[in-house]
Amino acid sequence: MGRYIIRRLLQAIPLLLLISVFMFSLIHLLPGGADAVIFNPRLDAAGRAAIRASFGLDQPIYIQYLKWLANTLTGNFGFSFSNHLSVSSILAVRFPATIELFSFSLLFALIFAIILGVVSAVRQNTATDYTLTVISYFGIAMPAFILGLFLQDIFAVQLHILPVSGTESLGYTFDAFNSLLDKATHLILPVITLAFLFIAAWSRFMRSSMIDVIKQDYMRTARAKGVSPINILVQHALRNALIPLITVVAIDFGGVAGGAVITEGIYAWPGMGSLFFDSLESRDFPVLLAILMLSAIFVLVFNLVADILYGVMDPRIRYN
Amino acid sequence: MDLPKQLDGLEEDIEPMMDLTPALTQKRRSQGRIIFDRFIRNKAALIGAIWIVVLVIFCFLGPYITGHNQPDLVRAELASLPPSLANPLGTDDVGRDEFARAMSGGRVSLLVGITSMLVALVFGVGIGSFAGFYGGIVDNILMRLTDVALAVPIYLLLFVLSVAFSDGSPTSIVILIAILSWAQTSRLVRGEFLSLREREYVLAARTVGARGLRLMFRHILPNAAGPIIVSATLLIGNNIILESILSFFGFGLRIPFASWGNMVAGGQSLYDVSPWLVFAPALLIVTVVLSFNLVGDGLRDALDPYMTER
Repeated sequence: MGRYIIRRLLQAIPLLLLISVFMFSLIHLLPGGADAVIFNPRLDAAGRAAIRASFGLDQPIYIQYLKWLANTLTGNFGFSFSNHLSVSSILAVRFPATIELFSFSLLFALIFAIILGVVSAVRQNTATDYTLTVISYFGIAMPAFILGLFLQDIFAVQLHILPVSGTESLGYTFDAFNSLLDKATHLILPVITLAFLFIAAWSRFMRSSMIDVIKQDYMRTARAKGVSPINILVQHALRNALIPLITVVAIDFGGVAGGAVITEGIYAWPGMGSLFFDSLESRDFPVLLAILMLSAIFVLVFNLVADILYGVMDPRIRYN
Repeated sequence: MDLPKQLDGLEEDIEPMMDLTPALTQKRRSQGRIIFDRFIRNKAALIGAIWIVVLVIFCFLGPYITGHNQPDLVRAELASLPPSLANPLGTDDVGRDEFARAMSGGRVSLLVGITSMLVALVFGVGIGSFAGFYGGIVDNILMRLTDVALAVPIYLLLFVLSVAFSDGSPTSIVILIAILSWAQTSRLVRGEFLSLREREYVLAARTVGARGLRLMFRHILPNAAGPIIVSATLLIGNNIILESILSFFGFGLRIPFASWGNMVAGGQSLYDVSPWLVFAPALLIVTVVLSFNLVGDGLRDALDPYMTER
């Protein structure tokens, strides 16, 4: 197992290099570019050249890339074009909000997908099953921005029970408990919006995986030797049915991260997604590049984690 | 000999026996016919297929049939009207006919979804089949390329690419979406090729002298057709959603082009006064994607020779 992990990590290095070359060139192809944004129109030619030089933009692109690479490898992501803060300090401010949204949504989606999938499988071909099936088909077909729009309208605008957007109510001071409550209520709609698609997709998958397991002979054996129904479901069926789900969830990790960007856009959630939109708007290359690379690393790491978990959950799988 | 009464409708179950017991069956159905019959029996898939046909007729022939053929005509005196007989989907803030706009926007949405699927399919099948068939270094190079395309969350890449290359025309959006959706198809095709190329019939074809392109596209590809058709169908729905998300965030189609995604985005700011501007295109997007997904699932079941009833 250890050797497998090390090999996978080594394989990820050339891949990340390749991704960084692609992303770097892509970002430098953006029209307008840094010139249009960072340069004060009243600057004379000498002033422009000086600023270009200070950002290293006067050098050929491959030199820029190598410099960026060398800096990044030592943990220096460079400085933002628009406010001259270091990229790492900007990311450090934005990252927690995204992680909060991401992990709550993931947890919420997993719990509901597993429960609904199991219920559907156990109550196969009943009204419950059909209802859940219809809802999940709609969930898969519903773009997040439409769902977000309707949720905002119903719960925030019409019913006034949840806030429209943001992470906390501004202009109020709360005690510790109410502050937490306030943050939690701001989290509800974004989490539902982000999780809905994945609840729908994963519960469908969970259902069919569970049905496959229920039909196995060892289930009958377990029942015959008198294991209680709950025990059969959890110990015998669920554990086996979860294995294929793990792969699907891992493949969708990038999808959840991408969905978080969309959700942050809808709810003005001040995380990496909003930062991404802002820096794309202002052509803030260093920030943009850092976000793209971090998301790629994130996806690769979780693909590896999934493969490892796969082996832990199912001892029949061997890595060599 | 006549079929006993109770055997009616059971042809499916005795299919494998048909060659052994020709007397039991009146006529032998072709492969296509069997698949078609299975597909028809799946009510949800059938409804999806019918709804797609209805929408295609609505979008492409609707303007000629209903006379609502001026989607861009500004009529200030008719601004913000709720749905009525004269304007079945109401009018927007400058008095444009929403019904006509739904039809013209639908043409764009459907065309973007379908053409980007076709482009992605060509690249995905091409790359996947070369990687799977030749293996080794070819496989390695092509699959690393695929890994790059799959490692960055698709929306991020889509937005950046759109800012870099798109001029807001349908063609540029089709190319963008195709660039990002070939990767999954190529993974799938590669997997199919990897397993199919080891089969006996490929060895047989090789023995009689077939090689290279002929083996790939004449012998192996047709046998991988099922999963490819299914994923292509699902890709259409996916791509329609991608386009609508792009347009919603302002990275997609630009004026004068409109799609259902654009219409939802445009109607959003007027939601308080004219909610129908959001409802109609939103409903159209959701139902058309739903229909493509249902058809895809129906095809999967119909094309799967080992299908079990669920």
